[in-house]
Amino acid sequence: MARRISRWGRRLALGITALLAAALVTPVQAGSRLLGTGGVTQIEGAAGGGLSPWGVLAGTASDTEVAVTVAASEAWLDDYGLRVRGVGVNWHDRVELSYARQRLALDTLGGVLAQDIYGVKLRLFGDPLYHPWGSWSLGVQHKRLDQGQALARAVGAKSTQGNDLYLAGSKLFFDAVAGRNLLANLTLRSTRANQGGLLGFGGDRDSGRSLVAEGSMGLFLTPAWVVGVEYRQKPDNLGFAQEQAWQDLFTALFLTRHLSLTGAWLDLGDIAGLENQRGGYLSLQLAL
Amino acid sequence: MYPILTRGYLAALLLAWALSGCAGAKPQPAPTLYQQLGGEQGIHAIVEDFAYRLADDPELVGFFANTNIDYFVGSLADYLCVVSDGPCVYQGAPMDKAHQHMGIHEADFNRLVDALQATLLAQPISASARNQLLKRLAAQHAAVMRYQ
Ligand code: HEM
Repeated sequence: MARRISRWGRRLALGITALLAAALVTPVQAGSRLLGTGGVTQIEGAAGGGLSPWGVLAGTASDTEVAVTVAASEAWLDDYGLRVRGVGVNWHDRVELSYARQRLALDTLGGVLAQDIYGVKLRLFGDPLYHPWGSWSLGVQHKRLDQGQALARAVGAKSTQGNDLYLAGSKLFFDAVAGRNLLANLTLRSTRANQGGLLGFGGDRDSGRSLVAEGSMGLFLTPAWVVGVEYRQKPDNLGFAQEQAWQDLFTALFLTRHLSLTGAWLDLGDIAGLENQRGGYLSLQLAL
Repeated sequence: MYPILTRGYLAALLLAWALSGCAGAKPQPAPTLYQQLGGEQGIHAIVEDFAYRLADDPELVGFFANTNIDYFVGSLADYLCVVSDGPCVYQGAPMDKAHQHMGIHEADFNRLVDALQATLLAQPISASARNQLLKRLAAQHAAVMRYQ
C-alpha cells in the first residue's frame, strides 16, 4: 500500500508538473463563467462533484466558448484502488461530450476491473447563477466493462454494458450560509449498473432499471474554495453481496481558471462482500 | 417589616432599572446593504474600481466605446445605491431598455460579473455584503438580456 502510494505520488508529482507547465504556457482563452460553476470531473467523466454528474457543463465555457477538461483521479479504499482518467469537451455551454476510463484494482481479492464510459450531457435550460431554477441538463452514459467481464457474470450480472440516463439540476444560492454562496445539486438517474458498472449491469435479484437519486451541496468558503458533501443512491441487483449508497465529504480548490484540485473522504459501503470501504480521494483537473 | 420593605423597594428599583435599560437598548435596526457596502463612499470606490476593470478588459471595453463614462459612472452609483436600499434616486433607463440591442452574449455577461466580483473582493466589505449585492444584480440577468 505504502509503496503503491509513493509510486503514485511520484507519478502525480510528474503529472502536476506537466499540467502546471501546460496551464502556464497555454495561450488558450479560458471560459468566462464564474470559477467553480463547472464543478470538477466526476468519476464517470462528466462535470460534477466527485461522485455525481451536475446540471452544469464542464469548465467555464459560456455561449460563445469551448472548454476542454482533462482529469486524473485516484481513490484509495480499504480493499480496492480506483483510478480514473477523464476528458470532457463543453461546446458553447450547450453540449458536453466526455470519456472516462475507470480501473479498479482488487487489492484483496486479486485482479483488475476496467470500463470505458462515453458520456453526452445536454443543457436543457437555465443557469446556476441567474435562473431561479438553476441549470438543468439531461445526460447519457454508455458504459462498457472490458476487463472483469467473467467476474461480473460469475457474481450474477446480466450484461457487461449498459446505459445510464440522468437528469441533473444545479443552483447557486448567494449569501446562503454565513454570507457564503451554496451550490446545490440534484440528480435523478435511471440505471442497471452494479457498483457503477464495474460489476456489470442488472443482476439475479433485479435485472431491470432502477431510479436512483443523487445529491450534493458545496459551500464556497471563498470564490475559489468549496467544501461539501455528496450522496449517491445505487441499485442493489446482485444476490451475492449487498450494495449501499456512496457518500463523501469533499473540498475543491480552483487554483486558477486552468487548474483545480479536489480531495475527498469516501464512504462507499460494502463492495463485492468486503465491508465498509472507506478511504481518500484526490483529483486533479486541467481546464482549457 | 422594615428590612422586607427595603428589600422590596430595592427589588422594585432594580426592576425599574432593568426595564428602562431594556427600553434604552432599543434593538438596533439591521444595517442596510448600503451601509454594509460603506455608504456613499463605499459605492463610489466600487464604481471607480469597476470602471477601471471594464476599461482593462479587451472584450468588455468595446461595449462602452460610445458611452459617456462620467454619466455612466454616476448613474451606476445611483443604481447600486438604490439596489442596496440606500437613500438615492436612480434616474436612468430600466435594465432592459438600458441594454437593448447591444449584442450582449452570456459570455460577456459572465465576464462582467467576474469583473464585478473581483472589484468587490478588493473592497473592505464582508463576504455577506459582497454576495448579497451579487445576488441582487444577478436577478437582473433576464432584464438585461431581454432585447439582445
Ligand atoms: C446585472 C447586470 C447589469 C447591471 C445591473 C447593469 C447596470 C447598468 C446601469 C445602471 C447602467 C446605466 C443606465 C442608464 O443610466 O440609463 C448601465 C449602462 C450600460 N451597461 Fe450595464 N448593467 C449590467 C450588465 C451589463 C452587461 C453584461 C453589459 C455588457 C457587456 C453592460 C453594458 C452597459 C453599457 C455599454 C452601458 C452604457 C449604455 C450607454 O452608453 O447608454 N451592462 N448598466
